[in-house]
Amino acid sequence: MTAHAIQPATTPHQPATPATTATCAAPIPANEAQRLQVLLDLNLLDTPPDARFDRITRLAARLFGVPTALVSLIDAERQWFKSRVGLEFRETPRSASFCAHAILQDEVMVVRDACEDERFAHTPLVQGDNPVRFYAGSPIAAGDGHRIGTLCILDRVPREFSEEERGLLRDLAGIVGNEVAAIELKIASERQRRSEHAVRALLDHLPDGVLLVDDSGAIVSCNEAAERLFGVPCTTLARQPAASLVGFEPAPVARREGSGRRADGSLFAAEITIAAMPLDGRTHLALTVRDVAPYRAEQERVRAANERRHNYFRTASHELRTPMASILGFSELLLKRDFDAATGRELMDIIHRQATRLISLVNQMLDLARIDSGGAAQLHPAALDLREVLAKMQGALEDPAQAARLDLRPGNDVLRVFADPLRIQQALHNIVSNALAYSAPESRVEVALAPEARDGRAGVLATVRDQGIGMTPEQREQVYDAFWRAGALPDVAGNGLGMTIVREIVDLHGGVVEIDSTPGGGSQVALWLPAAEGGAAR
Amino acid sequence: MTQDIMSGKLHRILVVDDQQDLRLLIRLSLRALGEVAQAASAEQALGLLHEQAPDLLILDVWLGEGISGLALCRQIKDDPRTAGVRIMLLSACGQQSDIAAGMAAGADYYMVKPFSPEVLLDAAKGLLEG
Repeated sequence: MTAHAIQPATTPHQPATPATTATCAAPIPANEAQRLQVLLDLNLLDTPPDARFDRITRLAARLFGVPTALVSLIDAERQWFKSRVGLEFRETPRSASFCAHAILQDEVMVVRDACEDERFAHTPLVQGDNPVRFYAGSPIAAGDGHRIGTLCILDRVPREFSEEERGLLRDLAGIVGNEVAAIELKIASERQRRSEHAVRALLDHLPDGVLLVDDSGAIVSCNEAAERLFGVPCTTLARQPAASLVGFEPAPVARREGSGRRADGSLFAAEITIAAMPLDGRTHLALTVRDVAPYRAEQERVRAANERRHNYFRTASHELRTPMASILGFSELLLKRDFDAATGRELMDIIHRQATRLISLVNQMLDLARIDSGGAAQLHPAALDLREVLAKMQGALEDPAQAARLDLRPGNDVLRVFADPLRIQQALHNIVSNALAYSAPESRVEVALAPEARDGRAGVLATVRDQGIGMTPEQREQVYDAFWRAGALPDVAGNGLGMTIVREIVDLHGGVVEIDSTPGGGSQVALWLPAAEGGAAR
Repeated sequence: MTQDIMSGKLHRILVVDDQQDLRLLIRLSLRALGEVAQAASAEQALGLLHEQAPDLLILDVWLGEGISGLALCRQIKDDPRTAGVRIMLLSACGQQSDIAAGMAAGADYYMVKPFSPEVLLDAAKGLLEG
């Protein structure tokens, strides 16, 4: 602050009297709303001093030999000084402002002696101890022409202002305008950069691959999903023909089923959409590539499940109708024809046997459906000693002669498993029943238990070994199919659901069932179950 | 009993089914028509076919492992020496597609299990006399 500095008569926010203030307030420009928006967007109001503007006000003060030079910005209710030489305060009310008048015209506004100008004679700046007498201000225009403020000079004595001086002030205001234009440009370019960044981020977060292709069919750029899908960075894809990636010459298409070729030559199922896109006066293509492999896999899974279900019901119907054929056929014969007592009894026996088979089949089918639909939630698992389950299973065999064929080797070192006791007994029963049924009536069936770890998990292996007819490799797979029965011994009772149920039960327990067998060489069925927490049962 | 027996004409019938009970049921149902021989598999049936030259074959479609009833049916109908044998397919599968497959294999009749012995007898008579 120099000794010549101008002091306000009152603080800027407290004009001398409302009445006098009202008479000297400048009219509001017609484009005020847009003008204010331009000013706000420049983000200059209430910011720290800036050397770019300060050097111009210093220059103006020196050049014109005045104590005060300002860059004044006209806000809605005030003028705020972005740069000031020789003035203590940063703002005054707009109503007391010379500059509010100056921005209404293109030319430099000069007030030779404020005391003689009605508009300003009664304003605080002119009434104070060290009053403003002289004012000259040139409007500052932003890039679009809105006058946001002025470059002005003030003096405490009246003075003349020549045409040459007006020209100099106008030129200096032009330099301020250039600085404002530079700021506008920087803001616009930052806005542009942000918008491009947002578009890029959007592209890179799309789940589908996007390729931009020029009018020669070469790739110009791509997004991150495309890099993932094709397995190479965008820089490698650039300039490659798009046809080499999608297998056809790209042309606009709503949706096309096809395949994408990865960098390693492998293909993936893809859905490709191509849109024409004018860019820089040339027709580009925007390719959207969607990896539909997961969708196709799901479709295939559903199709296979439906087919399995269909086959199951088809076979189930066949299996239910077969005993019904005997029951209905023989009972009709008995009703309509005459047989001797022995034959009649034989036929009744068949009916009874087939009806028993039918109800057992129905029960097993319901049981399988329960296991299949109930999942693990239906289990009542407990820490289980398999030796006890094995003993119970043997005791539950209906025919004591068959039970006597079992050699149980429970071992001394058996871990507990965490499993549903009834279901595990059922699984062991089914395996043992097969072993007994498909081997000679006098032969032995051995059931052994031993600890065994699988994939780093402790567990127990139950092994059922017979000396029966054995199985071919195909049969070892088929044995799990519902209703499949080994055909070599047609008169063996059973319904082909035993091993299907075993597999379901073992799967629910996170276990494994394995068959080792050769035709004529007997079969060994191994059932592995994970151990319960807490170790060995001794 | 039947016209055939009264006219003294005895037919030869071969029943092919892997289920013993079903073979018995069919034999009892058809014995009025003549001699009823039986086979438990397609392979066994092929042997008897040349030995006995039956007039009618009652053939189960689902014969367990080995040659299926459908394949045997086609084989017999494709062979000029046996093409004249009447074939009734018997199956627990009674969907339109199953029946169509049976007729396409050359069968003269398709009977769905379970069946009435009387209906079986009538159908067999129809085939032997037609």
